[in-house]
Amino acid sequence: MPQHPFLFSGHWYKVDLVTVAWTLIAGLILIIVSAFVVRRLDMRSPRGLQNWFEWAIEFTQKMSRDMMPSEAGARFVLPFAFIVLAYLFVANWLGLIFTWEFEPSRDIPWLGMVAGKKYSLLNSPTENMNMTLALAILVWLVSHAYGLRHPLRWLKTYRNPMAIIDEITNPLTHGMRLFGNILAGEVLIEALLRMPMLFGWIPTGLPLLIIWLLYSAFVSTIQAYIFALLLTLYIGHKDFNAAHH
Amino acid sequence: MGIIEPGTMIVSLLAFLIVFFIIYRVTYKPLSNMMEQRRQHIEHQILSAEQGRAEAEKILAEQRKLLDEARRDAKEIMDTARARAEKQAQDIIDAAQAEAQRILDEGRQLIERERAEAMNGVMQQVAALTVELTTKLLRNHVSEPVHEEMLKEAQKNLGELVS
Repeated sequence: MPQHPFLFSGHWYKVDLVTVAWTLIAGLILIIVSAFVVRRLDMRSPRGLQNWFEWAIEFTQKMSRDMMPSEAGARFVLPFAFIVLAYLFVANWLGLIFTWEFEPSRDIPWLGMVAGKKYSLLNSPTENMNMTLALAILVWLVSHAYGLRHPLRWLKTYRNPMAIIDEITNPLTHGMRLFGNILAGEVLIEALLRMPMLFGWIPTGLPLLIIWLLYSAFVSTIQAYIFALLLTLYIGHKDFNAAHH
Repeated sequence: MGIIEPGTMIVSLLAFLIVFFIIYRVTYKPLSNMMEQRRQHIEHQILSAEQGRAEAEKILAEQRKLLDEARRDAKEIMDTARARAEKQAQDIIDAAQAEAQRILDEGRQLIERERAEAMNGVMQQVAALTVELTTKLLRNHVSEPVHEEMLKEAQKNLGELVS
């Protein structure tokens, strides 16, 4: 498991700097790319990246319409689902493309770093359980805030007490699923990179690494999709705009 | 790792929210506005195309109707003209035939009359001459009864001669 530098290390409120930094950097990459696309937006003849963005929006739109019971709900969830999908796609891929290790020559106490120990400075932000759980809790909060627009109907869903168990397991599995998949991918990549070379120069791990990278790329994409899909599903459960609820 | 770190959780959530709002502003809004605009544009285009087509069809039907009407009118005019011409020709022929008949009848009557007149004249002349001649010839030789019988015979012979 990769070691990260921490702010306030040793306290209960310590902050994982690598996760936070790459959360922002993943967003920054997406912002820069999309700003470039938006600057040359063309309604009549879209080309290049604009097609990808439009395809992603339409894809999310279709997904929201399938999942949400009402059209108003689908419109509400669309920006959230789209941004989460695009963001997670970038964030999940980050850890696959580069890896960056750092070994401090002396202790850096305010970052919690110890000399001679290897620290990973580049990981997908979604590889950290706290970040994905935070996202899942955000989804949970949004879904309840949306559900409470109709308080009576929202209350009626708890006539069956088992629904309360769902309220705990849903965000937990929602966050853990993403974290587990991405972490597994990156840990194995790291392990394959550390595989010893045959006669000191033949990279025996390379074929395995390539296969695993391809598979991880696939998993990263699928997990971004699944997270966005479950997001619409969970908010859809709290969408009481349709009359029959 | 492996345990919940509330600090990381909160800070990364804040980081994500910042990113979310920037992306929402910078990317999502203009993109979805543009797509909505395009949707409306396409809808408008389709609508106007449909309207144009309906109008064209209407105009075409109107033109077709007008053409049919014109054709029917022309046919009617031709028919009436032809009928009138035929009737006129027939009238002319009829009139000519009647005129010819009249002229023929007149001529025939004239001939008949002239012939009758001529015959009358001849009859009177012949009767007078015969009577005169007979009187001269037979004045003294023939009694009254014989004379009367001879006259009758002569009349009878004349009648045969005439008829």
